[in-house]
Amino acid sequence: MTMTADTAVAAAPRGRRPVSRGLVTVLVALVGLFAAGFLVAPSSVSSGAIQSMLPFASVLAIVALGQTLVVMQGGIDLSVPGSVSLVIVIITHEAYGDDSKVLPAALAALVVALLVGVVNGFLIGRLGLNAIVATLGTNALLYAAVLAVSGGTPRQTTDLLANIAGGTSFGIPNAVYFAVAATALTTLLVKRTVAGRRFEAVGSNGRAAWATGLKVQRHRAGGYVAAQSLYWLGGLLLAGILNKPTAYQGDAYLLASVAAVVLGGTSLLGGRGNLVATALAALFLTQLDQFVLALGVNFAVKTLVQAAAFAIGVALYTIDWGALRKKLSGGRTPVPATP
Amino acid sequence: MTEDTTTVVAESTMVLTGISKNYDGVAALSDVSLDIRPGEVHALLGENGAGKSTLMGVASGTTAPDNGTITVRGQLIERLTPGDATRLGIAIVHQHPAVLPDMTVAENIRVAVPAEFLGKADEQAVTMRAMLDDVGSSAHLDDRVGALSVAQRHLLELAKALVVSPSLLILDEPTAPLGPESVDLLFERVRRAASHGTAVVYITHRLAEVRELAQRVTVLRDGKLRGSAAVDSITDDELLALIVGRQLESTFPPKHAVEEADHQLLSVSHLDGHGFSDVSFSAHRGEIIGVSGIVGNGQSALLRALAGLEPFSGSVSIGTAEHSSKDLRRYSAYLPADRHAEGLMMTLSVRENAAISALKKFKSGLFLNRRKETDGVGRELSSLAVKTASQETVVSALSGGNQQKVVLARALLSEPAILVADEPTQGVDVGARAEIYRILREVSSNGVPIVVASSDAKELEGLCDRVLVMSRGSVVDTFEGDDVSEERLIHSAVRATGHTKQQASSTSAASSTRVGRFLQGDYAPVLILALVMLALGAYVLAHNSRYLSAFNITSVMTSCAALGFIALGQTVALLIGGIDLSVGPLAGFLVVIGSFFLNADKAFTAMLLGLVLMASAAAGVGAINGSLIRYAKFTPVASTLAAYIALQGLSFLLRDSPGGTISADVTGLIKTKIGPVPVSFILLVVVAFAMEYALRYTPWGLKIRAVGSNEESSRRVGVRVDRTVILAYVVCSLFVFLGSIVLLSQLGIGDPTQGVGYTLSSITAVVLGGTSLLGGRGTFIGTLLGAGLIVQVLNATVFLNLSQSWQYFFQGALIVAAAVIYSQVRGARTVV
Repeated sequence: MTMTADTAVAAAPRGRRPVSRGLVTVLVALVGLFAAGFLVAPSSVSSGAIQSMLPFASVLAIVALGQTLVVMQGGIDLSVPGSVSLVIVIITHEAYGDDSKVLPAALAALVVALLVGVVNGFLIGRLGLNAIVATLGTNALLYAAVLAVSGGTPRQTTDLLANIAGGTSFGIPNAVYFAVAATALTTLLVKRTVAGRRFEAVGSNGRAAWATGLKVQRHRAGGYVAAQSLYWLGGLLLAGILNKPTAYQGDAYLLASVAAVVLGGTSLLGGRGNLVATALAALFLTQLDQFVLALGVNFAVKTLVQAAAFAIGVALYTIDWGALRKKLSGGRTPVPATP
Repeated sequence: MTEDTTTVVAESTMVLTGISKNYDGVAALSDVSLDIRPGEVHALLGENGAGKSTLMGVASGTTAPDNGTITVRGQLIERLTPGDATRLGIAIVHQHPAVLPDMTVAENIRVAVPAEFLGKADEQAVTMRAMLDDVGSSAHLDDRVGALSVAQRHLLELAKALVVSPSLLILDEPTAPLGPESVDLLFERVRRAASHGTAVVYITHRLAEVRELAQRVTVLRDGKLRGSAAVDSITDDELLALIVGRQLESTFPPKHAVEEADHQLLSVSHLDGHGFSDVSFSAHRGEIIGVSGIVGNGQSALLRALAGLEPFSGSVSIGTAEHSSKDLRRYSAYLPADRHAEGLMMTLSVRENAAISALKKFKSGLFLNRRKETDGVGRELSSLAVKTASQETVVSALSGGNQQKVVLARALLSEPAILVADEPTQGVDVGARAEIYRILREVSSNGVPIVVASSDAKELEGLCDRVLVMSRGSVVDTFEGDDVSEERLIHSAVRATGHTKQQASSTSAASSTRVGRFLQGDYAPVLILALVMLALGAYVLAHNSRYLSAFNITSVMTSCAALGFIALGQTVALLIGGIDLSVGPLAGFLVVIGSFFLNADKAFTAMLLGLVLMASAAAGVGAINGSLIRYAKFTPVASTLAAYIALQGLSFLLRDSPGGTISADVTGLIKTKIGPVPVSFILLVVVAFAMEYALRYTPWGLKIRAVGSNEESSRRVGVRVDRTVILAYVVCSLFVFLGSIVLLSQLGIGDPTQGVGYTLSSITAVVLGGTSLLGGRGTFIGTLLGAGLIVQVLNATVFLNLSQSWQYFFQGALIVAAAVIYSQVRGARTVV
């Protein structure tokens, strides 16, 4: 559709892509947390503490990236614990004490993970089941598999995996490289490919996406498959980082991954995903644990701090603070017209 | 209606004086006055957007006017609310019925109509049946309203309004979806009401209806009063002159001059679909086709079919190729009337919205090329003169006109085979309108066929080369060239007397059978679960005779009591359309609280205090959950997840390790049995049945389900939504309190790690019982059986010597199977 040049008004400025509110929030929180660490709990920011914290932050970041993809479609994935645990027991039991079996076991676990993703995607994307119910069910099925594989007993990880996932290169834990790569790759796929941009559009408004001709069900289902491959990577790393991972090792990652997604500013209603912010929020949450522990408080206070961080994280995005301030300062807010 | 016998001249039922109303600075009504008298049918005429519905919103209390006064039977009303309006005997039948789809016809009536009009409990069914018969509705009282046809829903809405013998009855275009017999019956009922002294305001577009029914007619145009007269003293032509003749606001581009060389570009023949039938038309290259008619006569449905969004039969050819519905969805560009719901991704930027259909053009290799994209989008935006701070601005920040241009930019970037625009200038300012007309004309001359539906006949006159007039789903007239004029279009539309195809009024009744209603109903899962439980029980018993030992029965029933109470609470949360993830940790937390008070060395009063504290803590948690959801706009998942984490922390704060042995007297009391059956289990069953009764027959239960079914409709029928939701979460938490008492007797000690698992198992129980996660539908009995089945399965694995792995497997398989089966049986609501 060409137009004569003179009818065209000055082009709408390109504009800098705005930095998301989630990213700013998380960065400020991170800086604040480390500053507080230096001031009141120096042991939480010692090099040893940081070195031991980073691998766990990396695993959480990777798992939370997967959860972000699901939340972007307006869903939630309760099958995280089963998925992560299943990868771990497949690796530790199939490749028990034998480095040569690590790769086949990892690939087998990947196939299982993708299969689980397809099942979740089919139930939710195609049959239209509620995400909570469907993933609650698959999580139980996954735990059935976890117990069938492991019998519930933990096993020692192999040296190879321990070296790859638990080792360090250039003074930085290897897991960090994996997390950075996973974040970069996921961001690239979501923000820079045709499929990724369509994925984001479907999550933002499924009806509008349908009206523009997009394959809504396929994109929805795709989110669950991609999420599973990230859980697979997270589980694989965790299996190497821990000396003797239990069969229930994934349990800790359900609430934490949802918390990281929410703190990163991705709405639980779906839509735009803040992937980098999610990864940094995972770092924040893990360091927050360190910080609280370094203060010497007990598990109870640590948990309460997590709850507060989560609630504040949600409230930052849901409450219209501008309007509230106006209301509290006594200024009358005009009643919005409802045509 | 008690009449004041001393007045000789009938007093006006309602007088509106000098009513004005602005929306965002645009006047919807300016200085309108209306005198509504008892026993008179007063027709309100005017084009779409003339202000008729706004005026009736003022009269029924849903819209507060900026200026003007309302007088009801001589009494000045300072501020009219919907509640006041109902008390004053004002009833309104909305154009879009305020019905609750998940509830039955009877329940819809009971939640909206004050009990005094329905008589005593045992007479209610008879009264309601009579109400429906009175308006000619064939719907069964136990039919779910979601399954009724649009016409039946309208009749239901009408029945609800008539039964209260209103002093003022407002009908907003009531005949649009009705078949001829229903229309006749409706007129008869309206006349009868008027003869009993009811004042009737009848909003319509059809002159024939005005003549047949009304004594007085008032015409509005552009929010202003154009005239008011007795129907007998005004001719059709005079009325039309009042309706049309709106000021020309925008300029239109010159129309297409037909040339010999133009070939036929678009050909639609014998198109049938939901809401329209047998539509045929064709267009030459360069022509814009208009679709006119009174809103809701199949125009939007036709356009949706042309955009490939709804199925159709018949053929659509563009150029030489015939297109299926699937092709059309992919290759057409659709400008929806509801931009926010179907046009834009409101949280994404202008650039992302505009580029979404043309992303493949902006690729370099595997990835999107930012420069190509911003250049391409930028060029389109500037040629459409979109006013936006930058391409990165969130699209929700733009004005209506600019938002529409973004949708248009997307359409043009995608190089569509056909452009379909439903109300393209609705909510668009005057300046932008002219530009949109110009753009459409340019696109058309470039060889893209364009079909435009508009309720503004003036717009179609200016823009289109050929206009179809639709009435009740059929094309009643086609105008071309100079014949396309506002006056002709409106004449044709308001004089159409055709009726909607009979499907409208007769669909539902035939399909409603006893078995069908049961299968569609809430109790089908109960029967399925009961059968599964019996079969499982028989199977296990065949393998292990100790299965029915008194000891096992007691232990299963006790476990069932704890889970059952918590699951009943979860049912309330799901019925209201929410979810409560915090029930598990709350149960654990309450046990920990109890472990400080219910010990052997404590006095009776201390124990009592402990129980009171437990109950108050539960109620408090529920209130916080509900308030965060309603007032802080948390999603139910977010709010109850925060509570989940916090409650775990609080449990550990009170006790970091197990401690506080519960007094044996207390556990003994809770564990009291009658034979092998624990009293707690009997109590659970009794409570479940009581709740079931409350859900079906008390105002509380109806309100809970109404809000879960459709929040907006509930508000319109007078339910206080915030209060209902918060109360629902409080009730949910109080059930957890009951469950925690049973749990406490099972654990015998305060353990901060216990209870968490109840969140997931309670949701499983509720889903098994057939309660919908979308809200509005479900049963407590189903939940009771769901909880029973879970406990039974876990117990059975022990008796069958199966490993723990099987426990997980059965739980997972049950919930997935139940969810799939129920969603298929009910016909899953549309996925998109």
